[in-house]
Amino acid sequence: MSVDPRPISLVYEQDHWVGRFVAMACPCEVLIDAPSSETAQTLARAIANVAWRVEQKFSRYRSDSVVHAINQAAGEATAVDGETTQLLDFAATLTRLSAGRFDITSGVLRRAWTFDGGSTVPSQRQIDDLMPLVGWDKVVWQRPYLTLQPGMQIDFGGIGKEYAVDSAAKLAGSLAPEVSCLVNFGGDIVVRAPAGSEREWSVGVERYDQSGVAREIIKLRRGALATSGDSRRFVLKDGRRYSHILDARTGWPIPDAPRSVTVAADTCTQAGTLTTLAMLQGAGAAEFLRTSGCKFWLQ
Amino acid sequence: MSDTKNPADLNLALAAATCALLGIGATEPVAAAEADTWSFDSSLLYYGESDDRVQDVSAAISAQRKFDDERVLGLSLTADTLTGASASGAIALDRPQTFTSPSGKATYTTQAGDVPLDDTFKDTRFALNASWTQPLARLYTVSGGLGFSTEYDYTHIGANLSLARDFNKRNTTVSAGLAWSQDDIDPVGGAPLPLAQMLDVGQGGNKAGSDSKDVLDFLVGLTQVLNRTTVLRINYSYSDASGYLNDPYKILSVVDPVTGDTLTRTPTAGLQGPTGVYRYENRPDSRVKQSLYAEMKHSFGAPVLRVAYRFMTDDWGIDSNTLETSLRWPLGGSSYIEPQLRYYTQSEADFYRANLVAGQPLPQYASADFRLGNFDATTVGVKFGHKTAGGNEWSTRLEYYQQTGDIPSDQIIGNQANRPQYPDLSAVIVQFGYRFGLR
Repeated sequence: MSVDPRPISLVYEQDHWVGRFVAMACPCEVLIDAPSSETAQTLARAIANVAWRVEQKFSRYRSDSVVHAINQAAGEATAVDGETTQLLDFAATLTRLSAGRFDITSGVLRRAWTFDGGSTVPSQRQIDDLMPLVGWDKVVWQRPYLTLQPGMQIDFGGIGKEYAVDSAAKLAGSLAPEVSCLVNFGGDIVVRAPAGSEREWSVGVERYDQSGVAREIIKLRRGALATSGDSRRFVLKDGRRYSHILDARTGWPIPDAPRSVTVAADTCTQAGTLTTLAMLQGAGAAEFLRTSGCKFWLQ
Repeated sequence: MSDTKNPADLNLALAAATCALLGIGATEPVAAAEADTWSFDSSLLYYGESDDRVQDVSAAISAQRKFDDERVLGLSLTADTLTGASASGAIALDRPQTFTSPSGKATYTTQAGDVPLDDTFKDTRFALNASWTQPLARLYTVSGGLGFSTEYDYTHIGANLSLARDFNKRNTTVSAGLAWSQDDIDPVGGAPLPLAQMLDVGQGGNKAGSDSKDVLDFLVGLTQVLNRTTVLRINYSYSDASGYLNDPYKILSVVDPVTGDTLTRTPTAGLQGPTGVYRYENRPDSRVKQSLYAEMKHSFGAPVLRVAYRFMTDDWGIDSNTLETSLRWPLGGSSYIEPQLRYYTQSEADFYRANLVAGQPLPQYASADFRLGNFDATTVGVKFGHKTAGGNEWSTRLEYYQQTGDIPSDQIIGNQANRPQYPDLSAVIVQFGYRFGLR
């Protein structure tokens, strides 16, 4: 694989190292409680490489990605590798667990929906035209061959970035098991720490209506935090607020979902998917999260 | 999801699917907690001097409320009770000495050979402070506070304001502050007139009413992160006090120029009163103090060494030096032990004198308050702290304080050489602290 030319900055701030870079179209950072700059350098570099690798492989925007190849196959079967298989299986599990609300084939609905805070809503006819292209039950998934119907598309939105965070943390654990570090890819966060570590990392949860202002400070010693919100991505229709998260069963966005859901879980993938599943419950998000037993913050 | 599974089962299924995706057997449980919005620091302190001298029990609680955007409200409340006796300034004699108490309504007697202590010393103090800190623009922090305290003969109000600016990626902080306070002093029995003689019980004329003082402080500071293990802090402060700066309860013995014994006095017939000649002290009505403080903290991995030095000089002629060091040593993951050592030395004030000499003109200023004399003090202590699983911390501190002073040899006259002069002092300090947070 080619070496990514994008820069990583590494500075020491107060009592830890901070590595910063851009990946998956968002600012990423890694905070490292390491004694030496060499260790910090190694970890920051390794973590950035994970982010860039996952982006390159699974971004639907890149013509050299696996996802692009699948989406361009026009009804033909595509053979995928082990890692992609794992992600597809995980996505299929999420679809089953959400009774079809979550679906990695629902991205085509964005052709009809524009979530810009306005009140433009597509006609039911437009949605009906797209719905034949939505649904995991319409694909043929015979490991390692995936066959989409012509016109169907998949994307790993809601899974890929979280998976990248967990993969980066796992690698950090094997490279420097004695070091506590925080991996943050655009607000999806995991702290990897040695057993018994007392190191706390303070994470601010931004107010949904005010960028840069923390509504809550969470002290994280280990594990993950993920946030799903619609501060700028929603549609208002007839006084109801429709979140950008679409219900794959109907093609419509979920009404009355919380503005922002933050979940703490053992892994970032778990935290991230819980926020998505909660959003898909609309007004029932709080009740869903409460009974799921996870720790969460709603706005 | 709720169609088929309840959310708890769903969460378990999700955890299993996540482990499969990430190729891990099991996950370590998340450890996340909201930062406390209120944090409290409470302490109970006992200070006890040897030989039944001053005993102080002090209870304090401070609360901090953090708001969004690094704005912080601080509140603190302290209650103190002082009892016991303190040295009055009079010298020891080979005969008993009787004094009129500060109230002017009774007498007390010191046995032959003892350093006279005023044992009518009792007080309860309450203090309340409030502060507000907030960022101002991107690199500035502004902080202001108000304070009030009251005790039987004393009322204090104060206000302060400071501004700090970060430089150099927040590795350098420069701060400047201003504080003002006013103290109203209403001594028991009135404020003695300067160098007035102690009179019999019931006789007035040597005391006036209440008085006050103002103090203005100016402080500049620099905090510099030298490298990732060392932080240096330097402060300079200038303090200007003006008004009533006497201790209304301190006296001086008036002695015979040859024997060094206190002149005897006979109380007026039918009245109780002092059996010697004693005069109340008088200090200048202004004092300018300057001090320079430097502190270095260095961490050797987990252990942290702190070394601090303070130099203070004032226009009363007192210079003091303080050297302090402590080493915080972790014990396991959640406890620490911290030995502490402090050495203090001070030179006497220009107007400090062990006694006044009969037949010589009265000086303008004179005080025999041992705290203005020449002395050294050493404090050794140890602190033990433990952080609970819930993130609260309790600590206990034990200290021993030993003070040794001397009176300049040219001030020691005749028989005084054979008697206790500067009363040495030792004290024990025990403190329990508990720090906790609430949401």
